[in-house]
Amino acid sequence: MADNKAQTLKIREFPVEENPEHTYLNAEKGIWSWLFTVDHKRIGLLYLFSITLFFFVGGLLALLLRTELLTPAQSIIDADTYNQIFTLHGAIMIFLFIIPSIPAALGNFFLPMMIGAKDVAFPRLNLASWWIYIFGALFALYSIITGAVDTGWTFYTPYSTQTGTSVVSMTFAVFILGFSSILTGINFIVTLHKLRSPGLSWSRMPLFLWSLYATAIIQILATPILAITVLLLAMERILGIGIFDPTMGGDPVLYQHFFWFYSHPAVYIMIVPAFGIISELISTFSRKTIFGYWAIALSSLAIAFIGFLVWGHHMFVSGQSELSSVVFSFLTFFVGVPTGIKIFNWVATMYKGSIDLKTPMLYALSFLFLFTIGGLTGIMIGALSVNVHLHDTYYIVAHFHYVMMGGTVIALLGGLHYWWPKMTGRMYNELWGRITCGIIFVSFNMTFLPQFIMGSQGMPRRYFNYVDQFQGLHQFSTIGSYILGLGFMIMLVYLVWSLFYGPKASSNPWKARSLEWMASSPPAHHNFEYTPVILHGPYDHHQPIREFHMGVAKEADEQTTEAERETT
Amino acid sequence: MSTHHISTLSTLLSVAGALLALTFLTVAVTWFNIPEPFNVIVAIAIAIVKAAAVAMFFMNLYWDDRFNTIVFLLSILFLVIFVGITLLDTLFRDAGLPVY
Amino acid sequence: MGNHSVATGKKSHLQHHFVDEDQQFESSKFGMWIFLVTEVLMFGGLFVAYIIYRSWHPDLFYMAAQELDVALGATNTVVLIGSSLTIALAIRAIQLDKIKAGINYLVATIGLAATFMIIKYFEYMDKFGKGIYPGSAYSYDGIGHDMAVNFFSIYYMMTGLHGIHVVIGIGLIGWMTIKAKKGLIHSGYYTPVENTGLFWHLVDIIWIFLFPLLYLID
Ligand code: HEM
Ligand SMILES: [Cu+2]
Repeated sequence: MADNKAQTLKIREFPVEENPEHTYLNAEKGIWSWLFTVDHKRIGLLYLFSITLFFFVGGLLALLLRTELLTPAQSIIDADTYNQIFTLHGAIMIFLFIIPSIPAALGNFFLPMMIGAKDVAFPRLNLASWWIYIFGALFALYSIITGAVDTGWTFYTPYSTQTGTSVVSMTFAVFILGFSSILTGINFIVTLHKLRSPGLSWSRMPLFLWSLYATAIIQILATPILAITVLLLAMERILGIGIFDPTMGGDPVLYQHFFWFYSHPAVYIMIVPAFGIISELISTFSRKTIFGYWAIALSSLAIAFIGFLVWGHHMFVSGQSELSSVVFSFLTFFVGVPTGIKIFNWVATMYKGSIDLKTPMLYALSFLFLFTIGGLTGIMIGALSVNVHLHDTYYIVAHFHYVMMGGTVIALLGGLHYWWPKMTGRMYNELWGRITCGIIFVSFNMTFLPQFIMGSQGMPRRYFNYVDQFQGLHQFSTIGSYILGLGFMIMLVYLVWSLFYGPKASSNPWKARSLEWMASSPPAHHNFEYTPVILHGPYDHHQPIREFHMGVAKEADEQTTEAERETT
Repeated sequence: MSTHHISTLSTLLSVAGALLALTFLTVAVTWFNIPEPFNVIVAIAIAIVKAAAVAMFFMNLYWDDRFNTIVFLLSILFLVIFVGITLLDTLFRDAGLPVY
Repeated sequence: MGNHSVATGKKSHLQHHFVDEDQQFESSKFGMWIFLVTEVLMFGGLFVAYIIYRSWHPDLFYMAAQELDVALGATNTVVLIGSSLTIALAIRAIQLDKIKAGINYLVATIGLAATFMIIKYFEYMDKFGKGIYPGSAYSYDGIGHDMAVNFFSIYYMMTGLHGIHVVIGIGLIGWMTIKAKKGLIHSGYYTPVENTGLFWHLVDIIWIFLFPLLYLID
């Protein structure tokens, strides 16, 4: 041991303090104590705040797009502006919102708590990752001011090397944001490997952490390719290196390989953490052990791996060889297997459970419904022959919104409500929570279900006008999107309201079994003032809560050693 | 387990010596014109041996937690996946549509 | 094994969320290895571009590579191997608390790294002098292949990115030298220099592949 002072290690129970006086929220004061904090919980909240901001920015842009689509001809913005706005909407939603969303916000907050650690392995790197993210966001802002980008979030060559808009600064922003994502990934992997508390074996790790682990693996294996891709793209624009430029003998299809080698795995960076949240919610609100723990845990890893083999399903009509199209289509179906395993296990968990339809559970059920649609349509467009017809239509737009919004965003909302009492120490209003969930569920389907129909009838993606035939469906979709926007505003209001006026939360309002609920709400500065020793699995609802963990603490000298370490 | 390994002087020096010898070898083989695919294979094989020597004895993987080796090899595996599948496209562009 | 700081009586660097120094050391090193994975994959992207282009245009690679100077490339290989050795020796010295020798080895490593960059500089200047630039500024017509510029684009991207890493490496090793001078690293705590060493060896490994792939095409 590091300090061999005379100490006795005692193992005993540590009763949770209800409504503690000293929490991470009041441990330090002032704006600087937030901006330069190394506390994973505060960094998680910084991220939560940032992604919320960008979600609303991206959402406003989306409403602008939908408004333009109210009429078949030009309504409020011209074609070029439309191109810029959907690019910004896509780029903001992908790079600034959804990639960091669940891992960097909720993951940062709860990963160390769920394994009984005081922090992530590299707290300063964690802070750096947030600052790098902000820096990347500023770069993106800069490129918006200096001419925006109109290439779509995919930056396909050769158009991206020819357009007059600020592609270089936007790709730089993406490069920087990728770096931030990598740092989060490294931190999570090391933390999970090295900082688990005694008794918290891999088989007792909450499934949310398994999903974050799989996500982190994708982040570190895929993101570097994004970095080199945008670097090559920037060089192509600045110097004209000709690697992707057909006029110089280069190959634009190669660009697409590079881009999708990152971006297909990246869609699993977006969705796999959502799977993790759903596992937590369904078990907790069914009061039942999760069905098929290992199947769910390992299927996350399987998805992470298979996700690297299928990128070419985005390129069926790009001119890649027939052979590779066939192979990619074939491999794509395999992703459905582990994903299906998860869905069946969740449903089996609910079977004969005592289901409690609290707001988080409502989101989990919405997820099951919406993600299943998103996932199954994904299998359909993964079929080569079907894809050739549906490529670049609204069918695709509907598909990925069902996955990203119906899947990830809905799971994020579920997780947000689930952990809100733990993070803030306050309860949100349950009635408003349920009503809002209903509004979002209905209006989401209003917005995107018609797009499947339009797409299958040939409405192309990324167009600001359309033939009259589609007007009814487009208007229906736009009205849906307004209601959706309204739903989010209501949520913002009641969540902020709860911060000030919500009833105080108890330490474990949902009677959950994983370790973060064994700390006070809100948690203390160091999460646990002792080293937890874990005695049961995270879903053992048949065991009484107080038997779940004990604590080891150095009974003597605790204060002094803490203080000594702080000063070094 | 502890991985505070302190290399002996002789290990470090002999690994460096081997690396220099292999560098000479890789240049020297180009003096004999080895026919087409084999020259590349030889060059890459030598490079792999050199890289392995650096990784094992300079970067201490030989004495280290095995998991670090696995992690490192993972990066190579995914690169191979990337090249391998991309070649399925680039090498077969002209193969054309199968006729039924 | 865990009581290094006690044994040497030096100041503890243990951060509050680790149990002991071994756990902290292992974690840092593990983190570094994962970071190296991202480095390999980033460079890997360029290797992939290289492989695809070489499989498309083997003749281009053969012809263009003749412009590169094998002697300089080989010298640089030797220089980098030497620097890998010196940094390994530096770590060894610091592990044995021979801080003075450690500092000397670190400085020698910086010297070798700088030599590498200087040689690279002359190579680049020689190419630029002939009009061999990356991209559309290319104006050399000594290579009878109309895609010669593509080879050199790849060449400049690969060696350029590698060169940037060498410069970063010099910065890191310089920082380690300062740390060693201040007595901040020693047998009880040498994590930063260990990780710097890992980074530097990776830079060496990448060059070990770049050299035959770019210079030795026959
Ligand atoms: C308020 C809800 C949303 C609405 C109404 C909405 C609407 C739209 C519209 C109209 C487009 C343009 C389609 C086209 O012309 O091709 C679009 C594209 C896109 N959206 Fe959304 N969206 C919403 C939320 C999201 C979310 C949450 C994400 C991801 C996290 C997202 C990701 C994307 C992406 C990646 C594109 C493609 C951009 C491109 O083509 O480059 N959207 N969305
Ligand atoms: Cu995909």
